[in-house]
Amino acid sequence: MVELRLPKNSRPTAGKTWPKPKDTSKLREFQIYRYDPDSGDNPRIDTYFVDTGDCGPMILDALLWIKNKVDPTLTLRRSCREGICGSCSMNINGLNTLACTHGMDESTGTIKVYPLPHMPVVKDLVPDLTNFYAQHRAIEPWLKTTSPTPDTEWKQSIEDRAKLDGLYECILCACCSTSCPSYWWNGEKYLGPAALLQAYRWLIDSRDETQDERLGDLEDPFKLYRCHTIMNCAKVCPKGLNPAKAIAEIKKMMVERRAA
Amino acid sequence: MREPVITPSTIADPKTKYGNAKSSTRHFFTQRLTGAINILFTAFLIYIVISIAGEGREGVVSLLGNPVIGIVFAILFAIVCVHMRIGMREIIEDYVHEQRTNRLSLSLNSFFAIAVGVVGVLSVLKLVFWG
Repeated sequence: MVELRLPKNSRPTAGKTWPKPKDTSKLREFQIYRYDPDSGDNPRIDTYFVDTGDCGPMILDALLWIKNKVDPTLTLRRSCREGICGSCSMNINGLNTLACTHGMDESTGTIKVYPLPHMPVVKDLVPDLTNFYAQHRAIEPWLKTTSPTPDTEWKQSIEDRAKLDGLYECILCACCSTSCPSYWWNGEKYLGPAALLQAYRWLIDSRDETQDERLGDLEDPFKLYRCHTIMNCAKVCPKGLNPAKAIAEIKKMMVERRAA
Repeated sequence: MREPVITPSTIADPKTKYGNAKSSTRHFFTQRLTGAINILFTAFLIYIVISIAGEGREGVVSLLGNPVIGIVFAILFAIVCVHMRIGMREIIEDYVHEQRTNRLSLSLNSFFAIAVGVVGVLSVLKLVFWG
């Protein structure tokens, strides 16, 4: 049966409260999930106080302020700090989003920061995305053709290119997949919203010549049909994309393919 | 039979299947189709319930005993059972992961839906043909 509670050794406990910085009135409380697999201890929730007058306005700025000035052992992924790389995706106040584009002023009170839900944790705020990347590999995210390769580029009309808008912008941050309850229960078999959004991106690419094969590979009760249109994916996507709509379009293509 | 171990390379293989591909699309389509028909069934059911409100057995028999109403009711009842079977199947596939329990649950689900459907349809047909 599916596990509705975390295993005993994964349940967070109360952690350390770090000292408040002195000589400032602009304090913001952060409660952050901490986990070190090497210690053998349960995860814990540490409390930090950030001097918001001394750091940038985003959650990532605050996390880096903590790492630089309070606790260098705090572990997180980050790279571009402007919503392009998708590295700093995490659960902030219950919402999967990018720490670099989520402002501290978007919420009041204590800010709670956890890793992406329902994924194995490597350390602190760093989830293990091995299966997530394998799912992306499974949809073969590249142009597949049977015609001879042209001398120049594979051409596409402006209208056909426009069909890819709202699909190609995905940065693989995993916010959508890890917000999906179906992905939580069947994360190994269900491809998840991110991979299926990309699957649709290649299915409707006018240059791709393997649509039937791609649909055949996707047709499976678990890989595709675990989507129950819960729509969390569309709600949390930090790029404003709509994976649920893409999945619905794939299902429509499946029915049309079977009817043909 | 041991459950197959799913590794990252299994997941990454586009040809990997975790169930019956053909029936997955059929189930998806049938569930939507029967769901849409169930909206009509609900309206029809409300009409019947209002029509027989306060009536005794004779009133119920005279309404459902009408061949047109009775047979439409029996067909719609069967469609509800098909929808119920697929819906429960989805829930079992979502939450019951252990292979043996999963198969047993799916079998019991099919048995239950068929039994309810057969009993329901025969009951309505009895009212139509034998009163």
